Amino acid sequence: MSPTILAAMHTSGTEAALFWIFGPIAVLAALGVVFARNTVHAALMLGGVMLILALFYAAQDAPFLAFVQVIVYTGAVMMLFLFVLMLVGVDTKERLVETLRGQRLATVVAGLGFLLLLIAGIGNAAIRTSEGLANANYPTNAAGQIQSGGNIYQVAKLIFTRYVFAFEVTSALLITAALGAMVLAHRQRVMPRRTQYELMRERFVRGAHPTPLPGPGVYARHNAVDTPALLPDGSFSELSVPTRIRELSAEQGRRPVPSSLGSAAGSDRSSAEGDER
Amino acid sequence: MFSYVPIFALFLLAGGFAVFSIIAGSLTGPKRYNRAKYDAYECGIEPTPQPVGGGRFPVKYYLTAMLFIVFDIEIIFLYPWAVAYADMGVFGLVEMVLFIVTVFIAYVYVWRRGGLEWD
Amino acid sequence: MRLLAAFHAAANPNAIPAPHIEYRAILPMLIVFGVACVGVLVEAFVPRVHRAVTQTVLALAGLVAALVAVVANTGLPRRLVVQSAVAADGPTLFIQGTILALSIGALLLIADRSIGADSDFVAQAADLPGTEQERASVRAGLRQTEVFPLAMFAVAGMMLFPAANDLVLAFVALEVLSLPLYLLAGMARRRRLLSQEAAVKYFLLGAFSSAFFVYGLALVYGYAKSVEYGDIATSLTSSDRGDSLVIVGLALIGISLLFKLSGVPFHWWTPDVYQGAPTPITAFMAAGTKVAAFGALLRVFFVAFGGLAWDWRPVVWGVAIATMVVGAILGVTQTDVKRLLAYSSIAHAGFILTAFAATTRASESSVLFYLVAYGFMNIGAFAIVMLVRDADGEANHLSRWVGLGRRSPLMAGIFALFLLAMAGLPPTSGLWAKVAVFQAAYQGGAGPLVIVGVLASAVTAYYYLRIIVLMFSQEPAVEGPTVVMPGALSAAAIALGVAVTIVLGVVPQTVLDLADKAVPFLR
Repeated sequence: MSPTILAAMHTSGTEAALFWIFGPIAVLAALGVVFARNTVHAALMLGGVMLILALFYAAQDAPFLAFVQVIVYTGAVMMLFLFVLMLVGVDTKERLVETLRGQRLATVVAGLGFLLLLIAGIGNAAIRTSEGLANANYPTNAAGQIQSGGNIYQVAKLIFTRYVFAFEVTSALLITAALGAMVLAHRQRVMPRRTQYELMRERFVRGAHPTPLPGPGVYARHNAVDTPALLPDGSFSELSVPTRIRELSAEQGRRPVPSSLGSAAGSDRSSAEGDER
Repeated sequence: MFSYVPIFALFLLAGGFAVFSIIAGSLTGPKRYNRAKYDAYECGIEPTPQPVGGGRFPVKYYLTAMLFIVFDIEIIFLYPWAVAYADMGVFGLVEMVLFIVTVFIAYVYVWRRGGLEWD
Repeated sequence: MRLLAAFHAAANPNAIPAPHIEYRAILPMLIVFGVACVGVLVEAFVPRVHRAVTQTVLALAGLVAALVAVVANTGLPRRLVVQSAVAADGPTLFIQGTILALSIGALLLIADRSIGADSDFVAQAADLPGTEQERASVRAGLRQTEVFPLAMFAVAGMMLFPAANDLVLAFVALEVLSLPLYLLAGMARRRRLLSQEAAVKYFLLGAFSSAFFVYGLALVYGYAKSVEYGDIATSLTSSDRGDSLVIVGLALIGISLLFKLSGVPFHWWTPDVYQGAPTPITAFMAAGTKVAAFGALLRVFFVAFGGLAWDWRPVVWGVAIATMVVGAILGVTQTDVKRLLAYSSIAHAGFILTAFAATTRASESSVLFYLVAYGFMNIGAFAIVMLVRDADGEANHLSRWVGLGRRSPLMAGIFALFLLAMAGLPPTSGLWAKVAVFQAAYQGGAGPLVIVGVLASAVTAYYYLRIIVLMFSQEPAVEGPTVVMPGALSAAAIALGVAVTIVLGVVPQTVLDLADKAVPFLR
C-alpha cells in the first residue's frame, strides 16, 4: 500500500500541466475582478478564481480544503457577494471621484511594497524543501506502520481531538452570526399586516384601473410586442402596449400608436422592414 | 490526482454541451431581426418598473442568505466527522451533538422570532 | 453494523483516543458560554414583557458564578489544559477575574440603560432611521434585549483570548469577542446614523485585522510546524532556518493585536467607535477589550515569540512612543467628552506598552495591575457620562458640561475623581498604576520611554484638569443639561468604580502582590 500511495503523491507531469494551464487563467480572472466595469462580471470572475484555487488545493493532496473552498467560499460567500450587489443595486455607478487625494498612488505603492515583502518572506522559505502533506495525510504511527485514512480522515482526527475546544467555541460564533443577522435584518411587525381586502380597498380608493390590462394585438404581418390591440370601434387601445415598451418605441423613433390601420402597415416601418428581410 | 479524472470529464462534458447548444442554436435557427424582440418582455404585462437608482430588493433575501451560511458552516464540520465517525466512538458523538445543539439554539431563536416567515 | 462496532472501541485497532478535557479549569468560560446560550433561548421563548428582567438576572448570576469559579480555581496547579490549547496559569486567572469584574460593572450599566423607558439602546435595529416604522417601534415600547446574550458572548471571548495557548484558539476567541461588539456598537437609540457608521467602521477595520491575524498565523505555522505557543518558542531556538517567514508572521499578528488595543498607527477606529456606540457599550469595550487584548499580547509576545525579543522590541518602542504622543496631543483638541475619553484610552494603551517593551517579570505584573486600575476608572467615567442628559439624550459636547459641578456636586466630584485617576494623581489607583508601569519600564532598560510617558502624562493631565475646572468654576447655563440621578444598577456600577479606584489608591499592595504572584506566564 505505502509505496504506491507515496509515489502517487509526487509532483507528476499532470500536476505541472494543470498548474500551467489554470494558473494563468486564474491570474487573468483575478485581474478581471479588479478591472471589470460591470460589478457582476467582477463577481463572476472572482467565482472563477475560487474554483481554480479549489482545483489547486485538490492537486496538492488537500481534498477537504478543496471541497470547503467550493461549498463555503464559492457557494456561500460568493452568493453573499451577489446578494450584496443585488441589495445595493446592480446599476449603481461607481463614483470615480477620489475623496482622499493621492489615495490611489498610495494604494499602489503600499500594495507593491506588501507584495515584495511577502515574496521575500515566503520565497525564502519556498526555495527550501517543503514538507508537503504526505506525512500528514498518511502518518506513521508509533509502531512504524503507515496509517490509511487520507486527508479528510486526518483532519477529522485533529478537529475532534486536538482542536476540540476551538471547534466547540466556533458554535458560539455561529450563534452570534445568526443573532446578528436577525437583529439587523429582521423587522418585527408592530402593526398587523394589511390583508388583501384592505389592499384592494386602498387601490380602488386611489382610482386605479380595476381590471387586468388588455394584451397587445398581433396581426398576421407583425409579431412585435409593441403592436397595439384594436378596440371594437376600430381605434387602437393605448393600454394594450406596456408603458415601458411604449417609451422604448418612442425613444427609438418609432411611432408607438398608429392613427389608422392603413398607416399601421406603413408607419411601423422598422418592424415591417425587419419582418420582410 | 487520477481519482479526479471523472470530475474533469464531467466538466468537459457539461461545458461542451453548453457551448455546442449555443453554437448549434445560432447556426441552425432563423435569423429575423426585429428590434422589439430585444426589448424586455414579461408575458405582455407591464414590466416591473425599476425605480430611479436601481431596484432595491427587500432585506429578507439577505437574512435568508445569512442563515444559509450559518448552517452551511455546520455542514462543513459534519462532513469530516462523518468520514471519521466509525473510529471515534462515543466521545465523537457527544462532541458533535454538543455542536449541533448549540447551533440548534440559534435555529430555535430564528424560528421563534419569525425569521423563517417569508412575509 | 459499523456504527454499533464504533461503540465497542476496544475492538477497533484504528480507534481515535478521546481527548482529555479538564472541565474544572475551563469552568468559568463554560459558565459564561452557557449563560449566553440560555440567554438566546430566553430571547426565543420568554414573552416580551419579562425578557429584559430575565436576561439581566441571568447574565448577572452567570457572571457572578463565573467569578466564583475563577476564585475557586486559584488553587489548581498551573498547567496547559484541553490538549494544550488553554493555559490555566496565574495571569489567565487574574485577567479572567478582572474581565468578569469589569463586565459585571458594564452589565449593570447596560441593564440600567435598557430597562428604563429612556433606554440607550435602539428599539429595533432593523428599522431604518427616521422612518415611520422606527417611530412605531418606539411607541410600541420594543426593546432589543438581544444585547444581553451578545454581551455575554463577548465576555466569553474576552476570557478566552488571553487564555488561549495556541494561535487557532486565539483567533476563534478574537472573533467571538469582536463580532458581538461590532453589532452592539451599531445599536444606539439616538444619533443612529453615527452609531451605524461607528459599527461599519469597527467591522471593516476589525475584519481586516482578523485577516492579518490569520495570515500571520499561517506564516508562523509554516515556520514552526505548530500553532502552539510553546512549540513556536522551541522552534525559534533552533537556528537552522531563516527567520524571515516568522518575522513577517509575527508582524502581521502584532498588527492585529495592536488594532484591538488601539496602538498607533492602528488606532483610527477608536474615537469614532467610542463616540458612536451606546455609552454602556463604550464602557464595556474600553474596559474589557483592552484587558483581553493586552493579556493576549503579553502571552503571544512573551511566550511564543520571546526568542525574537531583539527583533520586536525596537518596534514596540516606536509604537509605544507614538501611541502616547497621539493619545496625549490629539486629546487636547477634542470637544466631545466621549472622543476625549477615547483618546485618553489610547494614551493609556501607550503607557502600558512602555512596560511591555521591557520583557521582565515586573513588567508583566505591572501591566496586570494597570489593567485593573484602568478598567474600573473607565467604567466609572463612562457611567457618569451617561448621566449628563438633556431633552434629546446625552449631552456629550464639552461646552454643555460647563458648571455641572454646581448642579450636581456629587456626580461631578466622582467624575473628577476618575479624571484624577486617569491623570495619575494621588490618592487614586492611577498613580500607583503609572508608578508600577514606569518603574518596570525603567528597570527593563526603556528609560527614554519613561521620559516620554511622563511628558505625555503631563499633557493628558492638562486636559483632564481642564474638564474639572470647566465643571466647577463656572455657572451652569440656564437651559443646560441636567445630571440625572442614576438608577440602582448604575449607582452600583459607579460605586464599584469609585471603590476600586480609591481602595487601590490607598492600599495598592494587595493587588500588586496578587499580580506579582500571578506571573510569570506559563512557558
